[in-house]
Amino acid sequence: MPHLRLLTLALCLLTALAAAAAAEWTPETLPVPYLKDARRHVSNPDGRLTPAAVDSADALLTALEHDKGVQALVAVVGSIEGDDPYAFAMALGRKYGVGSRKQRTGLIIVIATDQRSYQFLTGEGLEGTLPDALLRRIQNRVTVPALRRGDWDAALLGTLRAVDNCVRGDASLFADEDEDDLTPGEVLGVVALFGLFGAAVVFAAVYFGRRRCSRCGRRGMTTRGKQYFRDAAGRRRMRTRWRCPHCGYEDTTEGDDDRISAAPAAGPVIFGSGGGGGYTGGRFGGGTFGGGGSGGRF
Amino acid sequence: MTKKISKTSVALLAAGVCILLLAGSFFTTYNSLVSKDEAVSTAWANVQSQYQRRADLVPNLVSTVKGYASHESATLENVVSARAKATQITLSADGLSEAKLREFQAAQGELSQALGRLLAVTENYPELKASENFSELQAQLEGTENRINESRQRYNAAVQEYNVGVRRFPANIVAGLFGFGRKTAFEAASGTEQAPTVEF
Repeated sequence: MPHLRLLTLALCLLTALAAAAAAEWTPETLPVPYLKDARRHVSNPDGRLTPAAVDSADALLTALEHDKGVQALVAVVGSIEGDDPYAFAMALGRKYGVGSRKQRTGLIIVIATDQRSYQFLTGEGLEGTLPDALLRRIQNRVTVPALRRGDWDAALLGTLRAVDNCVRGDASLFADEDEDDLTPGEVLGVVALFGLFGAAVVFAAVYFGRRRCSRCGRRGMTTRGKQYFRDAAGRRRMRTRWRCPHCGYEDTTEGDDDRISAAPAAGPVIFGSGGGGGYTGGRFGGGTFGGGGSGGRF
Repeated sequence: MTKKISKTSVALLAAGVCILLLAGSFFTTYNSLVSKDEAVSTAWANVQSQYQRRADLVPNLVSTVKGYASHESATLENVVSARAKATQITLSADGLSEAKLREFQAAQGELSQALGRLLAVTENYPELKASENFSELQAQLEGTENRINESRQRYNAAVQEYNVGVRRFPANIVAGLFGFGRKTAFEAASGTEQAPTVEF
């Protein structure tokens, strides 16, 4: 038995090692919690940050997005595939379109602690607020010293506070409330178009839905009365009496009981499935990145 | 009650509908070509402004390096002359022939190489490397190189879309009528088409 236990232990160790070695994140594999919960901007799949630091960073970035419309995506990982944080960050930006389409104020921060590299990327609308030189200054004074100490929490939080300061100092940035790009005139036009189309459909349905008189050929026979009964097989049926208002011709038709088809088919319909949690997922706005930002190694 | 419609009027009506449809598709094709052409022009303007941005950084960079490494004058001189050469060439998107684009690329490539040599030299000056001013200039230069690459990629994508639009079947007739020619995309910088040889 001890052999078996040893073997299991060795196997466990090996899998753990393999997992640690294989955890090279790509833009495709990196989990993005923001998509499930709009208040979580930080991706921390390797647990390099403490939960408290993640919470603080999330709170700061959520407030920043709410107040200034700057949408951020932060990834603190062990290592990334290709060891190129710039390409990694750009690919993330392209894949998710971080930042609103209108302001293009996306911000991406990538830190690969094992590879000892970092990259900040600014959306095209944020390059004026956070020029490359300013980002480098923040990195030189705040980020890199903390990274060199191996204090990932301090590196991220210090950086975010500095960025927050700069962004809030820019009065030209505004909260992104209206994601809709339609002007009132356009909305009116669309509504009018749909209204016209709908009216045409309703008219056609009413007109062509009317029964045609089999004697004079004109449409518009009216119902004179309905009679419900059961046929030989016990099915519920209905007999309808019709009269043509143009020539006075009368006839009857038979069909299924209309009270059956009018009733709901199978039990009550429940609207909305249980999403649980109650938090709404975030949506990236389609911002673009032109290559601005700053990065390096520590 | 029903009036008999003559065959000629039916034929006329059919011909009219056909002409309307043709004219409609003609206009949409022409308009889509125009917007693709405009997209290429915009992308090209962006490429040029990013190169200009790099050129604007050079004087500041040179004077900063000069303060710490004054006896690297040859390297500095190279950068200045390469910048002067590169800024002389400005091209509009309309007259962008393959030869002109190659010329533009060669001049900018020369500046890239001169800057690369300058940055390599700076490795020997720890005081310069520690200077915050230099570090921030370097960040701007790196960011600008990234922007240049990005804008080149976008330009190439716009050109590709335009060229496909020009060559596809019904559109190529319209393109031929109104002189929408093929456009030239960037090629990989010379020397990068061959994989580097590694020797141990």
